Amino acid sequence: MRVPCLLRTCSIVALLCAANLSHAQHEQHEQHGSSHQGMQFDSKGMVMNSNVDELPQNCSAISEDVAFTVRAGTAYAVTSAGRVFGFSQYEFKVKPCARVTVTFVNEDQVRHQWMLHGLPRYLYAQGMFHLEANGGETVVGSFIVPADDATYLVHCDITQHMEKGMKAQFVVGAGSAQLWSVPSLTDDFNIEKRMPHGTYFFVGLLALISSALIFHTLTGKNN
Amino acid sequence: MRAVIMLVLGAVLSALLFPPQWYPPKLRFTLAEYFGTPAAVTVPVSAEMPMPPLTEPMCPEDLLGWRDAQIIEGVSISATLGCVADNPYAIAAFVKGTNNVSTDTLMRAGLTPDALEKGADLDGDGDADEIHIRLEIAELNGGSPDSQVPTAQYAIAPGITPGMWVFVPKSFGMATENFDSVIAKELLRAPSPAIRVEQGDRVFITLENTHYLPHTIHFHGVDHPFLRADGQGNDGVPMTSELPLEPGQSRTYELTPRSTGTAFYHCHVQPQSHILMGLQGMFIVEENRPNNSLQSMNIGAGQVRVVSQASREEYDQEYDLQYTDVDSHLNNIIQQTNDPARIQSWLHGGYNLSTSHSDYFTVNGRSFPYSYRESLIVTQPNERIRLRVLNAGGEGLALHTHGHKTTATHLDGVAQTPEAQVTRDVFWLASAQRMDLLLNTSNDGTHSYGPGVWMLHDHTGRGTTNDGIAPGGNMSAIVYREFLDEDGWPITRGEDMSMFFAPEFYNRDLRFGDDEPTLQWSFLLLLRLIALALALGLVLASIAQLTTPLLRGRR
Repeated sequence: MRVPCLLRTCSIVALLCAANLSHAQHEQHEQHGSSHQGMQFDSKGMVMNSNVDELPQNCSAISEDVAFTVRAGTAYAVTSAGRVFGFSQYEFKVKPCARVTVTFVNEDQVRHQWMLHGLPRYLYAQGMFHLEANGGETVVGSFIVPADDATYLVHCDITQHMEKGMKAQFVVGAGSAQLWSVPSLTDDFNIEKRMPHGTYFFVGLLALISSALIFHTLTGKNN
Repeated sequence: MRAVIMLVLGAVLSALLFPPQWYPPKLRFTLAEYFGTPAAVTVPVSAEMPMPPLTEPMCPEDLLGWRDAQIIEGVSISATLGCVADNPYAIAAFVKGTNNVSTDTLMRAGLTPDALEKGADLDGDGDADEIHIRLEIAELNGGSPDSQVPTAQYAIAPGITPGMWVFVPKSFGMATENFDSVIAKELLRAPSPAIRVEQGDRVFITLENTHYLPHTIHFHGVDHPFLRADGQGNDGVPMTSELPLEPGQSRTYELTPRSTGTAFYHCHVQPQSHILMGLQGMFIVEENRPNNSLQSMNIGAGQVRVVSQASREEYDQEYDLQYTDVDSHLNNIIQQTNDPARIQSWLHGGYNLSTSHSDYFTVNGRSFPYSYRESLIVTQPNERIRLRVLNAGGEGLALHTHGHKTTATHLDGVAQTPEAQVTRDVFWLASAQRMDLLLNTSNDGTHSYGPGVWMLHDHTGRGTTNDGIAPGGNMSAIVYREFLDEDGWPITRGEDMSMFFAPEFYNRDLRFGDDEPTLQWSFLLLLRLIALALALGLVLASIAQLTTPLLRGRR
């Protein structure tokens, strides 16, 4: 059973975990869990857990072959949402048991990632499929999704890149949820409460008028 | 006339009925001089204060053996005797160059193959002289549109997570320890790494701006040309040498330093905020020596585990100590909103550096008690230790060594003649100043008073506090080996230090017993207060009576 990962829930769970496990223990977990299969690591960047032929346990055959070309960089930022980085596409839809090939084109001069979380760990180390391209480079990788209807988080995990725009959702079948704060798709969880200009002036004026009215009523009765 | 009498009567009664507990202390002392001190009263028995539960070990276990002396990729890495050590695989990669080590070492180090490339041996003396360093910018404890807790967390002390920007080596993969964690991985931490190059090296430093605001790098005190050969600005100053480097862009600075010494690098965009946000690090130029493969980066500064040939000639150990201060009102701006435009407005005009002051003080990116895990200077008697000190903060630093007098051998990277070298136990470092101190642990009554756990800290009042609560701030210590336990924690004769690891100690929630203002309630006091209220009412009523004709007359 896979639980779709709403980021907020994840953070809370992560906090609880972090309190129980020490720094080094986490590290050790990771190193035991990782395998170097389907791995590319060179001057172009990195591909982790690429998989073209191993089927997930609940799939009997590959349902379809889908190819996406994703461009990444500041040029794709949804600036109306207050974002600085972006992908050319924020939602991906495939059938259950589809084989997906992603061509990731980085148009910036700095690193970017297309990292998908929540895949079965028996097939994908740390449950993720990961593409990482150096500035100006292109990397390609494939993975096969399980049969369950699910929505997976796709993001760039360089600090603040997801928060500032590099967040997308990958929907298998009917999907399982909508993620928060996917640019151009869903709203931010922390919607900033902005007061319009002149709010303080307006409230202050109302207070003055009402105090004058009260004063008038009270003194009027005395005379 | 009757109203005047009432007013005087009310005033006198109010004065008499006012409870003496509420008199100002000075008046109570004066009264006691004339009338004697009041009789003893019974106070409630003090309750024993329950300590908050310990949420983390003082000294985490070194499960991966990073503290041990070891040889990786042929690089001999000395042991760390303190509690928490740097990743030795990253150290090996920084010595050999990330382009000259195995994929396995890089994977364990977390670095990309081009993070720190070492090229040709230009002077033929057995070490690489072409150094290409690629730096990115990480945001620690940043905000999020989804989460109520900071992202990529880095605590400077228990429960204290001010927002920060730091230069970091180019790394791969996740920014956190793993997907289930919100804690930043070890490479992403404050301070920005200490960079070490050799005199005469051809150094290329590429800034890949992974951050959402523009930045540059300025090399303060390092020999560098104002412009590169191709005419591009090389000084990192937006006003004079170049445009700020926009998000997603990269730029390479080039330098071939002719002089040696401890220097400083920092971002020069909006210096009133970017430097204090954490875009600051040490830059050290070492003397040229044969077979001098340097540890070109020291993550989180601190102990240098692979020291230069020149240091080996004169010193037994070397430490990089970067002091800075943090104003959480500045640093937490990035947690308030996710819109870079609003963040920029707040950094520009919302925050006023001239009317602010710092509340956290760090050494090598941590405040006490975490500073005791990473920044202890561990020694034996009769060692000569080089301390390279930078004050990167906005406030002065009065660096005091308990039990030792150190000697300033270099000021701002320049060697002082023996006559000019000063030996003392408090050194003043103004903002951006560097000082190389020789710590001599010979027990001669001047340089050292003998083995022990000797504090090393800023002696300005606030420097040893976390937001005004001591002990905190930039405290570390000089610890002799016989006073250090197996795990690397000092063996002390004082308080149980576990209490300082409870976030409650510093967040002002800790109460020492029932310390609310103690007004002893009694029936007599109640009567007295009611009478006081009546007397005050009499005063108010008579004032109203006296002033009413005036008010009426105005109508």
